[in-house]
Amino acid sequence: MGNQKQETNSARQKRMVLGFSAAVLLSGMGMAQQRGGSLTVGLSYDIDTLNVYSTGFLGDVQATVAEGLVAPNEKAEYVPVLATRVPTIQNGGIKVAADNKSMVVTYQLRPGVKWSDGKPFTSADVKFTWETVKDPKFIAESKDGTEDITSITTPNDLTVVVNYKRVAPDFKSTLFTFGILPKHTLEGKDLNTDTYNQMPLGTGPFKVTQYVKGQFVVLDRNPFYWRKDKAGVQLPYLDKMIFKIIPDSNTLVTQLKSGEIQMATSVPYAQIPQLSAQAGLKVIKNPVLSWQHLDFNLKGPAALRDINVRKAVAYGLDKATISKALGGYPIPIDTVVVPVFSYSSKTVPKYPYDPAKAKQLLEAAGYKAGSDGIRAKNGQRLSFNIMAQAGRSTDEDAQQVMIAQMKTIGIELKPDNKAGVALRDARYKGGYELYYGGWITSADPSYGVFYSTKGVNNGQGYSNPKIDALLATADSTLDPTVRNKALRDFQTLLMQDLPSIAVTSNPSMIVTTDKLGGFVSNPTNMTNFVNTSGWYLKK
Amino acid sequence: MTDTLKRSPASRKRPEGFWPTLIARFLKHKLAVLGLVVLIILGLLAIFAPFLAPYTFDGQDASIIGQPQPPSAKHWMGTDQLGRDAFTRVLYGARISLMVGLFSALLATFLGTLVGALSGYYRGWTDAVLMRVTDVVLCIPLLPLIILLSGILRPSVTLLIAIVGSLSWMGTARLVRSQFLSLREREFVEASRALGGGDNRVMFRHILPNALGPIIVSTTLSVGGTIMLESALSFLGLGVQPPTPTWGNLLNYASQWLTGAPWLAIFPGLMILITVLAVNFLGDGLRDAFDPRN
Amino acid sequence: MSLSYIFKRLLGMVPLLLGVSLILFGVLHLAPGGPLDVYADNPSVTQEALDQMKRAFGLDQPLPVQYFRWVTAFFQGEWGYSIRTSQPVMEEVLARIPATLMLSGSAFFLALLVALPLGILSATRRYTGVDYFITLMSFLGISMPVFWLALMLQLLFAVQWRVLPSAGMQTIGDGSLPDLLRHLVLPVFILAFASVAGWSRYMRSSMVEILSQDYIRTARAKGVSARRVTYSHAFRNALIPVVTVVALDSAAILSGAVITETIFAWPGLGRLFIDSMNGRDYPVLMALLMVGSFALVLSNLIADLAYSLIDPRIRYD
Repeated sequence: MGNQKQETNSARQKRMVLGFSAAVLLSGMGMAQQRGGSLTVGLSYDIDTLNVYSTGFLGDVQATVAEGLVAPNEKAEYVPVLATRVPTIQNGGIKVAADNKSMVVTYQLRPGVKWSDGKPFTSADVKFTWETVKDPKFIAESKDGTEDITSITTPNDLTVVVNYKRVAPDFKSTLFTFGILPKHTLEGKDLNTDTYNQMPLGTGPFKVTQYVKGQFVVLDRNPFYWRKDKAGVQLPYLDKMIFKIIPDSNTLVTQLKSGEIQMATSVPYAQIPQLSAQAGLKVIKNPVLSWQHLDFNLKGPAALRDINVRKAVAYGLDKATISKALGGYPIPIDTVVVPVFSYSSKTVPKYPYDPAKAKQLLEAAGYKAGSDGIRAKNGQRLSFNIMAQAGRSTDEDAQQVMIAQMKTIGIELKPDNKAGVALRDARYKGGYELYYGGWITSADPSYGVFYSTKGVNNGQGYSNPKIDALLATADSTLDPTVRNKALRDFQTLLMQDLPSIAVTSNPSMIVTTDKLGGFVSNPTNMTNFVNTSGWYLKK
Repeated sequence: MTDTLKRSPASRKRPEGFWPTLIARFLKHKLAVLGLVVLIILGLLAIFAPFLAPYTFDGQDASIIGQPQPPSAKHWMGTDQLGRDAFTRVLYGARISLMVGLFSALLATFLGTLVGALSGYYRGWTDAVLMRVTDVVLCIPLLPLIILLSGILRPSVTLLIAIVGSLSWMGTARLVRSQFLSLREREFVEASRALGGGDNRVMFRHILPNALGPIIVSTTLSVGGTIMLESALSFLGLGVQPPTPTWGNLLNYASQWLTGAPWLAIFPGLMILITVLAVNFLGDGLRDAFDPRN
Repeated sequence: MSLSYIFKRLLGMVPLLLGVSLILFGVLHLAPGGPLDVYADNPSVTQEALDQMKRAFGLDQPLPVQYFRWVTAFFQGEWGYSIRTSQPVMEEVLARIPATLMLSGSAFFLALLVALPLGILSATRRYTGVDYFITLMSFLGISMPVFWLALMLQLLFAVQWRVLPSAGMQTIGDGSLPDLLRHLVLPVFILAFASVAGWSRYMRSSMVEILSQDYIRTARAKGVSARRVTYSHAFRNALIPVVTVVALDSAAILSGAVITETIFAWPGLGRLFIDSMNGRDYPVLMALLMVGSFALVLSNLIADLAYSLIDPRIRYD
């Protein structure tokens, strides 16, 4: 399910509301908020567990129940949640050791926060969360960040001091963002099998009151929720949220049309035009932190190790047409760092669409067109398999456009699509020649996992010591200037080497009832449901 | 009793020859003839698709990419989202769909008839062993197993035929067996045996023709069934890979355009309907022709 | 047929299921990619933790040992824990059975109730307008992909007319019987539709076959009324091949439910299978396939028993 985790929904970034932004903003600021009402959301996958640390998905439902100390907002910037501020060096929350090899992060917790069963939330819960998730007996989908921590001390109920064994600039995006576990109900229990997995207890705006497997989750207002709006009204506004599990995307759209659900967060592009024409619905474009890329397996066919071949492919790709084929929603990109990040470089080597130049490069490198139009050198034809995720229609469509475009410059691509574990296996172990797909990251991405020699997601056999060094720097400094410079240099170098072509950034399309107010989309892997307390339904 | 014996197929002589009679009988069945003609036309269309199609099946028109275009003089069945000619794709789709449907149904029928006949005729140990094998294969839910195999083996068209054919003979086997079980008790079989007919002769000359009706019906239905199965696999993302068109994956692809571009769905759907209709009429006609009592 | 025969057949199911389990276990474990692959790219899951998980799931043992352990435990009702949800497999599977039984069972009986009379009608009115109409409808049924028909009916009944829910098993907050029935209508109809088409064809063809048999002609010649010939003599005999097909299909309905359940968001075994397959959740997959196999074995037995009930000439020793 890894790819689902990477690719299912996601949303984070500045939202771009198509045509309706004015209404949303106005209602967000005005006095239109009303308490009450129930919102039914369609989920396109079946929930495995409601435990944020065990689920193979992004955790849409979980985000309404569990809260972290901090969370990313719509701009992918961290804001305090259960902590009173986001620790930084400037505010004294982070202290780096003199040898620059370790750091201490101190969180001040929000007073008066209660679990949805009325028990107080304290620093002991934070420490308990780390201990529990770290425990090898606990089988987690994600234990990110636990190994970086050497110890946690809790001088008082509202102070947490976390000792890191390295300088970890990504400390925010992991452990304590996902959600805090309640010590008072889980202590001494086996979290693998505890009922927490079906009925999680959190400090969030909602609490699970009914979970029927394979069908739905009903969440009611958490009566002890800590957040209040500016007028002092206790949040959340909504009485109830219901998540309905609807795995088939056509059915999901049907339910939106029939009004059986009022919201869905990753609607196929092909369905958007008819849904936006439907009265009572609005469409929101959410540019997520993901990018589509075409990878070359450098351990694969020898021709792929020829930089001229890779450059020819890049020049031969018409990203604008690929975007157009997908309804015009995808945004063509030149680098693997999505534009929303400040360190996304605009000065990387670019490969604008130029089929003549592509042919010229291939010709110069000795690849001559054969009778079937496919080029070859020394009997080696430029004919490769290209893998994509089977059944993912946007990727398969884009793949077919690329196949047609490559044919015109004399390169033959044959589809070799896989799904599920087989795809994962091939993707991570390099069981492909070319691969087209997407990655989605947190708000603090580490690019080392993708492009450094030993990166766990580097299945393509790419290795460049200079890249390794730049990424090591980026992943071990808290100084934004140093980090940004390293990441910019990394992009330039990467686009020179061209092990991977950045193709487009595909936004996710959110469809909601036009009665929903206060909704702010979120581009990060914390999902659009990371702050539901301010949502309300207009009468 | 004498009366029955005289009219039973075992004792019936066919001086005019078996096949000419069969053909003559078949030709009387107008719908069956029509079905055969339609199938021949479809077969020819499939075989000569590269010469008949106005475009290539993966050729994209960049000027209209992104939005399916309705049928026009240039594109008789419209275009899909990637600016490809739908008529061309339906034509090419016929190749794969017919091939998968026909060959896997034939493979299944062959295997099934063989196993069923042996089992039902000899009974005893042969029956026990063959039925045990049949049972073991039967006891594996077909669709899930095909889904599993598709995930492991990445089905090419040939492999798909092999997988589907070798996993769907059991129905025919049991059907044939039950026919044999019941037919071998009939008087004409006993008579034929009493007259010194060898096992093979009794089995394939005397019993099998009598069992042909249900076998043919089962085969024709399974051609349709296999075309459906291919579309079901497409629905789960495990069918023949794009851009190679099949009626199943064309239809599945069209489902997201149901309201926006219905023509994408109508034509492959019609083709499946016409094919299955034709195959079934043909099956009907053949059964009537084979049936000596008509 | 006797009780001892049934007992013998039931006993015979054990080696059969063992054979099936061996094949399935092999197929599943020889497939590339294991259940722990999801953690392989996660640097925070240490080797120590991975080894611990391997031990916990018994994946560190050689395959034959794994199989032996699994099979002995399975037949003792110890189905292990789901890798995907960490819940007991038996619990996961049992929770899904009622939904699937409700859906497939209703579809099965509906299909039977409609298909048999249609087949008889078609056979006795052979080559008339009624026959052609029924034939045409069954061909339509056979040639209509499930997902396609489902989509059209959803649009019609749920979006256009808003008289039926488009998916799901209940309106949240309303678990009443009428509500459940409303949710059942579309999926049951879809699931039954293809079976009706197929079965009525079989019934027709079998009936036509029998009606032209000598003994029927004899009965007619002796002056037995047409109605009596059809229903008392012909029907019984025509049922034999149909029973085979119906028994086989009853299990196919279970498989077909994979797609119907996905489309209608029906929380049954088919959905669980697809979800478990994507995550390669071995324990759940094996349990599901075994449950499916068991259902098949049982339906075969019932078919065989039905033959001898219908046609006393078929003997089982």
